Amino acid sequence: MEPARLAAHPVGLTGRETASGGTPKPMPQPDNTEERAALDFFARKRYVNRTGEAFSLDIRFAVPSGITILFGASGAGKTTLLGCIAGLAKPEEGRIAVDSRVLFDSVAGIDVDVSRRSVGYVFQDLALFPHLSVERNVRYGLRGLDEAERERRIGEVLESFRIAPLRKRLPGDLSGGERQRVALARSLVTRPAVLLLDEPLSALDPPTKARILDDLRAWNRARRIPILYVTHSREEVFALGDRVLVLERGRVIAQGLPQDVLGAPRQETVAQLAGFENLFDARITAVHDDLGTMTCRLAPGSPAAIDIEVPLARIERSSAVRIGISAGDILLATEEPRGLSARNVLRGTLTTLEERDFKVLVRVDCGVSFAVLLTPGACRSLELAPGCKVWLVLKTHSCHLLRPTDDAASF
Amino acid sequence: MKKGREIHGRPRRLRLTALPAALAAVLLLVLLPAPARASGQLTIAAAADLQYAMHALIVKFERQTGAHVRLVLGSSGNITTQIEHGAPYDLFFSADVEHPEILKREKLIVPGSLRRYAVGRLVVYVPKGSKLDFAREGLAALTDPSVQKIAIANPRFAPYGRAAVAALRHVGLYERLRPLIVLGEDVSQTTQFVVSGNAQAALTALSLMFAPGTRSRGNYWIVPAADYPPIEQAVVIVGRSTEKPLAQAFLHFAASSEGRSIFRDYGFTVPAPEKGQ
Amino acid sequence: MNWQALALTLRLSLITAGSLLVIGLPLAYWVAFSRRRWKFLLQTATSMPLVMPPTVLGFYILIAFGSSSPLGRLYQRWTGHTLAFTFTGLVVGSILYSLPFAVQPLVNAFVSIDPRLIDASRVLGASRLRTFFRVILPLSASGIATTIALTFAHTFGEFGVVLMVGGDIPGVTRTISIDVFDLVEAGRYGQANITSLVLLAVSFTVLALVYWWNRRAWPRTPWA
Repeated sequence: MEPARLAAHPVGLTGRETASGGTPKPMPQPDNTEERAALDFFARKRYVNRTGEAFSLDIRFAVPSGITILFGASGAGKTTLLGCIAGLAKPEEGRIAVDSRVLFDSVAGIDVDVSRRSVGYVFQDLALFPHLSVERNVRYGLRGLDEAERERRIGEVLESFRIAPLRKRLPGDLSGGERQRVALARSLVTRPAVLLLDEPLSALDPPTKARILDDLRAWNRARRIPILYVTHSREEVFALGDRVLVLERGRVIAQGLPQDVLGAPRQETVAQLAGFENLFDARITAVHDDLGTMTCRLAPGSPAAIDIEVPLARIERSSAVRIGISAGDILLATEEPRGLSARNVLRGTLTTLEERDFKVLVRVDCGVSFAVLLTPGACRSLELAPGCKVWLVLKTHSCHLLRPTDDAASF
Repeated sequence: MKKGREIHGRPRRLRLTALPAALAAVLLLVLLPAPARASGQLTIAAAADLQYAMHALIVKFERQTGAHVRLVLGSSGNITTQIEHGAPYDLFFSADVEHPEILKREKLIVPGSLRRYAVGRLVVYVPKGSKLDFAREGLAALTDPSVQKIAIANPRFAPYGRAAVAALRHVGLYERLRPLIVLGEDVSQTTQFVVSGNAQAALTALSLMFAPGTRSRGNYWIVPAADYPPIEQAVVIVGRSTEKPLAQAFLHFAASSEGRSIFRDYGFTVPAPEKGQ
Repeated sequence: MNWQALALTLRLSLITAGSLLVIGLPLAYWVAFSRRRWKFLLQTATSMPLVMPPTVLGFYILIAFGSSSPLGRLYQRWTGHTLAFTFTGLVVGSILYSLPFAVQPLVNAFVSIDPRLIDASRVLGASRLRTFFRVILPLSASGIATTIALTFAHTFGEFGVVLMVGGDIPGVTRTISIDVFDLVEAGRYGQANITSLVLLAVSFTVLALVYWWNRRAWPRTPWA
């Protein structure tokens, strides 16, 4: 497991070298283009989300080519953001440029028409033209080319996305995965300068999803365009992302490498989005610079308060913090474990067992209640039942210190 | 909670009962037979060319007898069809003799009630400012190139339409003018085509020239009676009439010297009174 | 049977239906997609003939295009005759009279198209016009068929406007419904009956054909 980072310095979005292990790069190298921002975005816009609440989008970011995940709860402004890039929504103020081509600039009065933006956009519901065959859907965006070149490109993209045999079929006769492939092919065949994907794979089973993503990555390896990929699936973020931007109520609340942002969330909202089941109020009771840890009291002030060890961070003693622990990161034992590197071993009573597809969520009362994720097999072999005495093992680095979302106060 | 519901419940119940009640009331109004006609009320159906003469007659008749008269205007053909299907008319003043004859054959009239009461006269009606000189040229003035459309009543069923065709034939212009002819449903519509400026001339009834709107917007010239067969007009008492004595009284009034002078004033020729009536 | 009146009425109905499609498409597009606040006024105006008696419409056409109105004088100077009593006059009257039957089904068809399809077309580089012809029109096929059927049938049986402005000229403005009226007026019920049956049969056939075709037309979202 990647060691969690609790560094207080912000992680840059162009921090690809950090992800690739920190080996120094030779200066002129093909990856160099990634260092330049391929998509430069700034926009302010009022919008109404699907539940009818009014928000204002106020977002500024710059990303290089490759996949950037837009992560956030529904209504966070992800689709509005994509709309601003595609030209389907008009910011009240802002500047949007792709590869130094300005698509929108409220100051300069530039607003390139949707049809001339060279944007590829795969909508959540795909929006395939139901009256056109696969081939004619893919052909739709190809104009101003001679027929031979058109045929060549269509053939190429249909091959790349493995849908050549479906050429003559209508979208209504395709499976979900096939339709996703057609939608991707239709967008990519036009050689867009930027690709926007609005949860295009949300309805697919994981293996299909993985195959399509592999094809997408392969396609983009040669072309190197920026791809914005909207999702609220945590798995997709880790599977795909070079970078992730977390949106909440029209603001970017966190950005960086997926494992930094979601693996070690520093904001509670991100932690919730990332699926951290255990969130506690806590207070730092001791700082051990020499050990690289801090002692942290969960549920301070309550008689059931318990102490755990958390990684060292630049936080003062007796500060109030929030601690987030993923239910999957907690070990459970029926006998007191010994000789572990883990610093935190807590004794408790199993209170409930809850089976959810291929997973069992167990609640253990150790003074405070912990959620622990187990496999059904583990559950059976340990003969777990409510009332069992158990021990929980928490790795120090599985305990994430969170800070409240900065922007929350401004709403 | 319970109390609140009860309080809210009351007006709702009211509304629920009010709605069917209102519906029932409306249904009753719609479905109930119209109240029986007050006795002493006469319903007269008359051809369109009679509208002004009839108004004048009715006003005088009402003043003299205190009876109430309703007037229904239409084409003779239409009124005949209506009577055949049971229309509640007492008297039918037709613009011809044929339609009353049809009703007579069908035994739908009071026997012996058919009589000719007036002879209509055909005029050419032109908009004010028209340069056509009928006084000098007669109907031949219609050949002037400024005339693009000539309105006549539909000769398939309107007596004045047949008279118009006969008059044009008589002066030998029918075939020539035929492409210019447009048909009105009755003399009223025929006249209206000139008033609205869509036709440059109309062959219509003299009796309509007494309407203020017609007189102020155009001029007319009376077509010589010798040019077309007389437009004899007949009246009948409808067999189903419930007011036969009153109908008889009205007929009597219409045939009186006062009634005849009214017909004359409104552009009809009135035949000498028939004996034995 | 008055074949001339039947042929004339068919011609009038076809021309009216065709013209209304051409006029109705941009009007409906505007009503369906405009974000103007006052577009409801246009919607109301195009629906007015629904509540206006045809005789009123005919009366206004007579007045508006008669030589006593400026518009009528202009038209007369331009064409040399008045609009009344001409086939063109009937077409104009019928177009106004059947306008709601053209606009409403088209608006319904347009607004039921998934707006994302229109966005997708635009993002793929298509102009609004190309989007209209390649996406909106094909997906509105059933609305278009309905429009053609309704305007055709509505004109085919149209009476009031024709009675007011037609002048009952054989071969020019004597439509089949006017012919029926004349036959009844003249007391020739047998012929009126035959002509009426032909009128009903033609209308029924046209509507049946369109609805049959409509049944086979594109479902809007085949997988939904």
